[in-house]
Amino acid sequence: MNEDFYIGYLPKMPKSLSKIIKTFVILAFIAAIGLAVILWIAQKPFAKSVFEFGTVKEFSGTIQAKTIPFLLIEKAEKNNGLPTFERIPLVAEGKHGFDGKSFDGQQIKLKGTLIYRDDLQMIEVVTDSVEKSPNTNQISEKSESLGKFTLKGEIVDSKCYLGVMNPGQSKVHRDCAVACLRGGIAPLFAVKDFQGNVSELWLLSEKGEAINNEILDFVAEPIEITGEVKRVDNQLFIYANPTSIKRE
Amino acid sequence: MSEKYVAISWNRQKKIYDALLWSGVAVYLLLFIGLGSFLQPNATIETLIIRGFGTCAILLLHIVLIIGPLCRISPKFLPLLYNRRHLGVTTFLIGAVHAVFSIIQFHALGTINPIVSILVSNTKFNSIADFPFQILGLIALIILFLMAVTSHDFWLNNLTAPIWKTLHTLVYVAYALLIGHVALGVLQSETSPILAILLGIGLVLVVGLHLISAFKETDLDKEIVSVDEFVEACTVAEIPEKRACIRTISGERVAIFKYDGKISAVSNVCQHQNGPLGEGKIGDDGCITCPWHGFQYLPETGASPPPFTEKVPTFNVKIEDGKVFVKAKPNKAGTRVEPAKI
Repeated sequence: MNEDFYIGYLPKMPKSLSKIIKTFVILAFIAAIGLAVILWIAQKPFAKSVFEFGTVKEFSGTIQAKTIPFLLIEKAEKNNGLPTFERIPLVAEGKHGFDGKSFDGQQIKLKGTLIYRDDLQMIEVVTDSVEKSPNTNQISEKSESLGKFTLKGEIVDSKCYLGVMNPGQSKVHRDCAVACLRGGIAPLFAVKDFQGNVSELWLLSEKGEAINNEILDFVAEPIEITGEVKRVDNQLFIYANPTSIKRE
Repeated sequence: MSEKYVAISWNRQKKIYDALLWSGVAVYLLLFIGLGSFLQPNATIETLIIRGFGTCAILLLHIVLIIGPLCRISPKFLPLLYNRRHLGVTTFLIGAVHAVFSIIQFHALGTINPIVSILVSNTKFNSIADFPFQILGLIALIILFLMAVTSHDFWLNNLTAPIWKTLHTLVYVAYALLIGHVALGVLQSETSPILAILLGIGLVLVVGLHLISAFKETDLDKEIVSVDEFVEACTVAEIPEKRACIRTISGERVAIFKYDGKISAVSNVCQHQNGPLGEGKIGDDGCITCPWHGFQYLPETGASPPPFTEKVPTFNVKIEDGKVFVKAKPNKAGTRVEPAKI
C-alpha cells in the first residue's frame, strides 16, 4: 500500500492522513467546548424555585379540603383578636393531587417535602403520613374579592411550576403539565404585568370547582382569562368560566 | 475482514477512535453540566442531564452525517469512516439517556403509561407552535435504535447489503425528525436567536457537504448506455497503476483496475457496506482493497480470497488502440474473467 492508502487495521496511519484527521478531531473538540459554552449563554435564566427532594419535614395545622387542599398553619399574629393563617397547598407524590377530604377541618400532623418559588410554598405529602388529632378546627374563611379582570398569562401545573421541575412551564414542559393536571394537581394561572412582575392565581370555575380537564388544551400557551379575582389569606384565586379562555 | 463473528474486532485505530470519542463526550457532558450548575444554580440535575445529553446527541449526529460526504470530497477523511458505527451507536446511547430522563421527568408517575402519555398528551398536529415535538424525538430514537442494534456485520450479512443500507439510510429521516424535535420543541420555549442560528449552521453544514459531494460525483454518473455490447470506457493511460477509474455503464458503476500490465473490471460496489471499490487499491497481495473497511477481492474473479466468501460481479474487458472497452452486461458475482493484457 502506498503512503495515501490506509485501512484502519493497518499498523500505523500515514502522516499525510494523520495530519488531517488530527485537525478534524481538534476542530470537533473545539466545537464541543464552544457549543457547551454558547448554549449556556443562549438559554433563558432559570426561576428561583426549589424542591427540597430528600428532605422530609413534619408539619402540623388544619387541613382545608375544598377543591384545592390547603394546610392552614396558624400564625403568631392576630387580626382583631382572630387567628391568622398561612395557607400552604398540598400535593401528593408523583403527578397526583392530594385527596384531603377525609381530613377536612381536622388538625393533623403530616410528613412532607417543601416546594417553593419566591413567596409561594407547597408541600408534597408523604403517602400515608397524615396523622389526625382528635381536635377539629372551625375556620371561617375570609375571602376578599378584588374585582373582575381579564389577565394574560400561562396555565401551569402548580407542583412543577413551584419547584419540582425547573423550568416548570412553557412548551417543553407542556406534556408534563398536562399529565399533572390530569392527575388532579391544581392549576395555577401565572400572569406577568408590563413591568415583568409575576403573580400566580389558583384557577377554578366560577363556582369554585376543578376545571382541570376543561383547560388541558390551553396549557403552556399564551392565553387570556376573564374572571373574578379573590384573595384568601396569602393566596390569590381566579374564578373563571373555561369558555372565557382565549389564545393570544 | 473476519471469517467469524466477534463482538468487536479491536485494533489500534479502533481503540484510539473510541478513546477520542468517549473523551470528547465526557469533556462535553462534564463541561455542559458543570457550567450549568455554576451559571444556573436553580437548574435541577435532571434538566442539566436532559439538556446535556440531548445537545451532545445532536452534535454527534451532525459529526456522523458529515463524515460520509467529507470522505466523498477527499479520501483523506476515510479513517473517520472506518469506525463510524461506534460513533453511531454512541449517538444512540447518548440520545437514549436524554429520552429516558425526559420520559421519567415529563411522563412517569402519572395516571397513564408514560409512552401512551407521549402519544396522547399533545395532539395539535395542525399547529407549528404547539406541535407535539416529543413524538418526533421518539420516532427518531426508534430509528437510531434499529440502526444501533443492526450495526454489526452479523446483521449486514443476514439482512443483505441492500436492505441493511436502506435501513441505515433512515438516519436522514431521523435527522429530519430531530431537527423538527428541536425546532418545534426547545426553540419554541427559548427566546435567544442563538439556538436557532446554531441549528441552522448544523443543517447548512450537513446539507451543504452532501450537495458538494454529490456535485463532485456528477462526472461519475455520466452514463454510458448499452445493452450487451462492449462500450468504450476510458483509456489505459487514464488509469493509475494499481488503481482504478470508475465509469457508470448501463446504470451500474464499474471499477476498471490497472495492475501488472493487465486490466480487470469489477462492480464498484463492495459487498460489505457498498463502499466504492474503485477508490480502493490493489495491494502487494494482488487484491483490490475497499477503502472503507478493507474488504478484499481478486480483480480477475471478483471473489474474496479464501476463507472469505464475499463476491462482486465482474465485467469482460478488452483493449483496442490504448482504449479500454467494457462489456455492458455484468457477469455473475465471482465469475472469473481473463484480464486484458496491455
